[in-house]
Amino acid sequence: MYKKISILLKTLVLPAAVMLVTGTLGVGTWAQAATQSGNKIEKLTPSMSYAEYQKRYEKYYGDFTAQMAEEGNPAEFLLDDGKDLANKVVGSKGKSCASCHGKDALQLKGAATTFPKYNAELKGIMTFPLQINTCREKQMGAKPLKYESYDQLALTMYIKSLSNGMPIKVSIDGPARPFYEKGQVAYYKRQGQLNFSCAICHVQYAGYKARSNLISNNKHHADHWPCYRLKWGKTGSLQRRFRGCLKNMRAKKPPFQSEELRNMELYLTYLNNGDLIQVPGMRM
Amino acid sequence: MKVTDRVDSRGNAGLWAGVAVFFMIAAMPLWAHAGNAKQGEKIAKTRSLGNCVACHYLPKVESPGDIGPNLVEAMQEYTMAERKDVVQWIRDAREFNPHTIMPPFGTNKILTPQQIDDVVAYLYTLKKK
Ligand code: HEC
Ligand code: HEC
Repeated sequence: MYKKISILLKTLVLPAAVMLVTGTLGVGTWAQAATQSGNKIEKLTPSMSYAEYQKRYEKYYGDFTAQMAEEGNPAEFLLDDGKDLANKVVGSKGKSCASCHGKDALQLKGAATTFPKYNAELKGIMTFPLQINTCREKQMGAKPLKYESYDQLALTMYIKSLSNGMPIKVSIDGPARPFYEKGQVAYYKRQGQLNFSCAICHVQYAGYKARSNLISNNKHHADHWPCYRLKWGKTGSLQRRFRGCLKNMRAKKPPFQSEELRNMELYLTYLNNGDLIQVPGMRM
Repeated sequence: MKVTDRVDSRGNAGLWAGVAVFFMIAAMPLWAHAGNAKQGEKIAKTRSLGNCVACHYLPKVESPGDIGPNLVEAMQEYTMAERKDVVQWIRDAREFNPHTIMPPFGTNKILTPQQIDDVVAYLYTLKKK
């Protein structure tokens, strides 16, 4: 009984007090926050400070990061192939990426910093892999590359790597706004048989361990994709990671580049504005 | 050798065992309701079933998670009379905390009522009285 009361205190009174003090919330129940357009999302707050989170992260991954730097990132093998693909003429119009974007597509330096972004023709959010396929189809008369295929990942990785070290600066102004909000709602939506949301793990419980996995804070989630993952033994995209977590939640997995995943990618990448692009990443 | 001789030579053990088994079968529904702690332990520690150790400390498990409270410590606070609360935590923890991360094992049919009973029987074996 005593235990239950202490939990109630922790879960009800504390956040309520924090909300009163910070005054960030208007009307509505204590546990819900409203987005600009009035969509309700569950109000979740981190269970620990960011400094404490970083301490735990370093303690957990410390050795691994050093080891990683020593052994090198297997994903880097894709970079050369990506560069070759950028110069390779394909499709009915006799063009390559380089035809429009300069030798080795070097004019695309910095392009990755503003993706995902609103696209008027699409009436939705354009991601980097989708942009590459759109260029191939519309400008080059070439077939789109299958998502998660070697060539798609190599090209995305090479062109994004031209922006390495540059800060992410994604816009959610104007027409992008509703898509950003939909992405936020999806990120906070409880779903699947286990009734989790992305946010309950990566906002509230970041820094805790789910079995032996330290759950990461979403601060640096969008800056290192495509990324080599030891568990996959392969390089994959951010959306592959989304689908992996959705599977663990026993929830429906929307297809690659579906509207829901693109909106979520916009939401998450905007959260990471200011983080420096570092492609390819490597994780456990 | 006569049947009675055989019974005699075992000091009636076989007979008593038979009687015991008979009563166990007769009392089955009641006994089953109390839950099978051994089954429960397996359910709690198996990834595809309860997977409680993803979030909670339980004894004799390699690297349990630390999202939820240590269940050995938590169980010291529950009396037998509060068994239905423990069941409810697992059935659907949203009754106690609407924003819990704990999956609603009963409501979402992750575990059957029998499996939940088994898990609770196991949890009570963690009580140090
Ligand atoms: C029950 C907990 C849980 C839920 C729910 C969850 N994740 Fe994860 N997620 C993890 C764990 C554990 C990892 C692997 C370790 C880590 O955090 O990097 C991970 C990794 C990730 C990563 C890779 C981080 C990196 O640095 O490479 C991303 C991105 C991610 N999750 C996004 C999501 C999204 C989007 C959702 C919802 C659709 C979600 N997660 C739901 C636990 C969860
Ligand atoms: C994804 C995380 C997660 C999983 C999986 C999980 N729990 Fe929990 N559990 C929690 C958290 C967190 C709490 C603390 C209360 C809260 O925040 O809702 C809790 C609370 C409890 C309590 C109440 C403890 C107290 O202090 O009174 C019991 C009992 C319990 N869990 C048992 C279980 C059992 C048994 C299973 C598996 C069948 C399980 N839990 C699976 C996260 C989890």
